[in-house]
Amino acid sequence: MRELSAVQVERALAAFAGVVGTANVYSDAIGRAGYRDAMAPVDPATYEPRGAVAPASVEEVQAIVRLAGEHGLPLWPISRGKNFGYGGAAPRILGVVMLDLVRMNRILEVDVEQGYVLLEPGVGFDDLYHHLVDNKIPLWMSAPAHTWGSVVGNALERGVGYTPYGEHASKVCGLEVVTADGSILRTGMGAMPGSKTWQLFPYGFGPAWDGAFMQSNFGIVTKMGLWLMPEPENTVELRMALPNVEDLPAAIDALRPLKLDGTVAANPSFGNVIRGLASRGPRSQYYDGEGPMPPDVLERARKEAGIGHWNFSVRLFGDPRVNAINAERVRSAFAGKVPVEFTESQWNRGNPLRGSGSPTPSLGALGVVDWLGGAGAHLTFSPVSAFSGAEAWKQYTTVRGMFEDAGFDYYGGFTAGQRYLNHITMIILDRNDEGMRERANTLFSNLIRVAAENGWGEYRTHTLWYDEVAQTYGYNDGALRRWNEAVKDAVDPKGIIAPGKMGIWPRVDREGKA
Amino acid sequence: MRIAHAIAAVSLVALPALAVAASDTGTAPAERAGEAQFRERCGGCHLADGFGTRVLERRVPDGQAELERRAGLTSQYITLAVRRGIGSMPAIREAELPDEELTEIAAYLGANK
Repeated sequence: MRELSAVQVERALAAFAGVVGTANVYSDAIGRAGYRDAMAPVDPATYEPRGAVAPASVEEVQAIVRLAGEHGLPLWPISRGKNFGYGGAAPRILGVVMLDLVRMNRILEVDVEQGYVLLEPGVGFDDLYHHLVDNKIPLWMSAPAHTWGSVVGNALERGVGYTPYGEHASKVCGLEVVTADGSILRTGMGAMPGSKTWQLFPYGFGPAWDGAFMQSNFGIVTKMGLWLMPEPENTVELRMALPNVEDLPAAIDALRPLKLDGTVAANPSFGNVIRGLASRGPRSQYYDGEGPMPPDVLERARKEAGIGHWNFSVRLFGDPRVNAINAERVRSAFAGKVPVEFTESQWNRGNPLRGSGSPTPSLGALGVVDWLGGAGAHLTFSPVSAFSGAEAWKQYTTVRGMFEDAGFDYYGGFTAGQRYLNHITMIILDRNDEGMRERANTLFSNLIRVAAENGWGEYRTHTLWYDEVAQTYGYNDGALRRWNEAVKDAVDPKGIIAPGKMGIWPRVDREGKA
Repeated sequence: MRIAHAIAAVSLVALPALAVAASDTGTAPAERAGEAQFRERCGGCHLADGFGTRVLERRVPDGQAELERRAGLTSQYITLAVRRGIGSMPAIREAELPDEELTEIAAYLGANK
């Protein structure tokens, strides 16, 4: 592993300051601390950067990348650094300098007729929301549970939201990328000078590369096209609280055909009882003992809160006449399969947005980290499941059992894609409790191993476990890893961009590790 | 129809809050700026129904969870909490909240004795 001396790093940072000004280079203890993993399950200083530089333009990014190459100093790009539960802003290793793109926060273009935006990486979901609402632009964004993060960063990490456009990576159309030699690449139709369809046709001519810059370290995305959903005339929400743990498989199997045929375009999320309780208050109001909450206590708490063991809503977006038909299809699909009926509500254009299904700015989801009190944090384990009640049940019971054996409450849910389920679980911990941290770390590695033994892979993971998860994608003696390394070595021979991201190490670090 | 070329998202968001603050009277301009910054940059968590307020309700005396109502805050403490993070609150970096804005926020909250 490369280790530059303090003098070498100082020289590089001084060179960066020549590009962005000294005010936008950070290397003191306070400056570095801001890039620590806020939810670190280990000492966050063990993967803290050497400093940071925050450019405000693509030209500054180019200049910094060129200088980083000259100085042999690896950069770790972040958009806004709010990837909580997956490492936050923190890099994979010590010894890098953060390339903080938060100052590149322009909404470059909104095309209402064609339904897209062109964004810089520093634009947050809150920013985009206010821009659309304040300017009365009839387009809706999709957003994850909290809206502090970057629209670009979230899509590049393949984050999910809850509207029909909730599979964010699939709505990306056209990227501008600064490559490791400091030049600019535009993907898809953006490769054609004067193209009128960069944000409209996602594939271009020849290989399509948008996907290669997601969850990767092949380049630095400086602009991203994203399709937005036209504001619907009407939404219908059908909510259900399933009273029994065992109701989950039937509900998933009832939903599957509706997702496959497009009746339900959005991504319903089946959240478990702990997820429901943790959003309401701390665990101490129900239970003060060690270990997972006993079943009888949990059942009392569930009833007191008036929630199900699984809670979800199916939301329909569009023409009210079509929604009425589809709502009936949803009711029919679930009737007789589960012991309860839907509770329903509607929203119509012109009413206040809250409750419409359009995500509004909120950081409320972060509150669950206070479940155990102390210095609350979460570590997110996110295996993918087949869209099958039986398979989801097997995954749920396996993962829950492991959580509880390790002394944690199982916090999780299944978010429905078109043909898969994102099983997003959180190990909620108190970072001040060293024993709990150790249990959480051991549990996380065990979850990765047991999931792989069952054929379940993670769709995303925490920085510290990139290598472990990457190794589970080891078909044919690690063919995918070797392919990624071959690409990395070709496009970034000095290993400047995010070494180790998703387990992809440049040659210079692989040889250092050997 | 194409609109909104090259608009800085953050400044757009800040405009309504500044407009509200500017309508206030009886407070110093710097303090009004700090109030507007606080509401804009910290309000998502630290106004009445925010996650930060809910977390603090479990840790501080009654009536003290909203930072705007908290007695005894000092600007130094605010600055440290913001830059280092505290409890389950992540650190806020200088690149996303410049020192000048943090100084205004800290002065505003620190003035609530």
